[in-house]
Amino acid sequence: MLDTRRPGLAHACIAVLRRDLTLAWRQRGDMVLPVLYALIVTSLFPFALGPESALLKRIAGGVVLVTVLLAMLLALDAMFRSDIEDGSLEQLMLAPQPLALMLGMKILAHWLATALPLIVIAPVLAGMLHLPIAITPVLLAALLLATPLLSLLGGILVALTAGTRRSGMLLALMLLPLCVPVVIFAAGALAAAQEGLPWIAPIAWLGAAFVLAVVLAPLACAAALRIALDS
Amino acid sequence: MANWIPLWLHKLSSPPVFYRFAGTLRPWAIGLALVLGLVALYGGLVLAPPDYQQGDDYRIIFIHVPSAWMSLFIYGVMGVAAFIALVWRIKLAEVVAMASAPIGAAFTFITLVTGSLWGVRMWGTWWSWDARLTSELVLLFLYLGVIALYHSFEDRRQGARTAAFLALIGIVNVPIVHFSVNWWNTLHQGSTIKLLDPSTIAPAMVWPLLTMMIATKLYYVASLCGRVRADLLALEGGKDWVRQIAEDEVRG
Repeated sequence: MLDTRRPGLAHACIAVLRRDLTLAWRQRGDMVLPVLYALIVTSLFPFALGPESALLKRIAGGVVLVTVLLAMLLALDAMFRSDIEDGSLEQLMLAPQPLALMLGMKILAHWLATALPLIVIAPVLAGMLHLPIAITPVLLAALLLATPLLSLLGGILVALTAGTRRSGMLLALMLLPLCVPVVIFAAGALAAAQEGLPWIAPIAWLGAAFVLAVVLAPLACAAALRIALDS
Repeated sequence: MANWIPLWLHKLSSPPVFYRFAGTLRPWAIGLALVLGLVALYGGLVLAPPDYQQGDDYRIIFIHVPSAWMSLFIYGVMGVAAFIALVWRIKLAEVVAMASAPIGAAFTFITLVTGSLWGVRMWGTWWSWDARLTSELVLLFLYLGVIALYHSFEDRRQGARTAAFLALIGIVNVPIVHFSVNWWNTLHQGSTIKLLDPSTIAPAMVWPLLTMMIATKLYYVASLCGRVRADLLALEGGKDWVRQIAEDEVRG
């Protein structure tokens, strides 16, 4: 007898997540590269701007944010690439489970593999630029909301460029307009915290945007992928 | 009931019909745009009185403000065409959306350049990170992203549909960017022409501005017609009606 039972939705989600995380873990070297990149970029700033601690302290929050953003952009390109090359993304599109949910799991796995190491290293980056220790929790809160937001927005754009051959610079051009509000609010929270002002409002805006993106971005990502791979 | 209007619109969405229609519309639109543009320039540069605060420097608004309106208007047209293209898969809508993008990008660029020319005299700086300036810059990047994405596909129709999706994302993004940048920093003067309230601008300055607005709209129509005609010929290269046109060209 043929077994016609479909695996449940939760089961499929966990399977996708586990597969992507296993793949990321098997290539641990790739996970280290964005972290190294962020360390290098951050250490270049004192050389370019001079080592005075007052200046570094003032720009520290913004520099760390932009560095993390650039490091994520570097890794974004690879989000679906291997899956498109070996055809497993097309299988996922044909699967009976909703594509949006599966892509959401893939984005989550990508965030865990690339953004989480960057968030872990962020206090070190901030320390290199003399950001006061008291600001570090605000930095972590801003990054914890801003990086998944960027992953979700980036996921839509990566899906749009799925049918093209080279997409590195194109992704940067397309992501810039989308990440302007994210950077403004994350940096706004940091600047407010450094001046001793209440910083909860920009963080709350980031949180609202994050919730909205969690709901809408996977749907947009699925629609974009169906358009880009439809031929 | 006049049901010839929807019928005519349906017919118009067929490439050969639109090709002929755009061919007849284009010379009229470009002629009127030139005449109105010259009248508006004469009214703005010669007839309008100098501003009591800014002297003659304000006259750049007769280029700057209509271009800024057009940069947003064309994005709107592109968004509507992109929506139609994605929902009803009408080939003409894809072409219209993609042909609008370079024109809109050009108007956005003109807005930024004239704005910074004005800024260097009035604010003493070429560029400031003010809310409107930054939103306009982001709009330019949105246009460039749409154009770049369109050209990165080998299949033109697929490229057009993908870029149309990006244009729709951009429509959601523009107000968010404007709001967030507003919250961040503001220096630009407020609008002086309002649709419902009485304007706080002299009538001698309003009519050249509005005439120039109509001229830029007509120029957009003319430019769009030209671009769509060329794109349709390229897209429908193998079809009979294109071959007919090519044969007529060779014979005539």
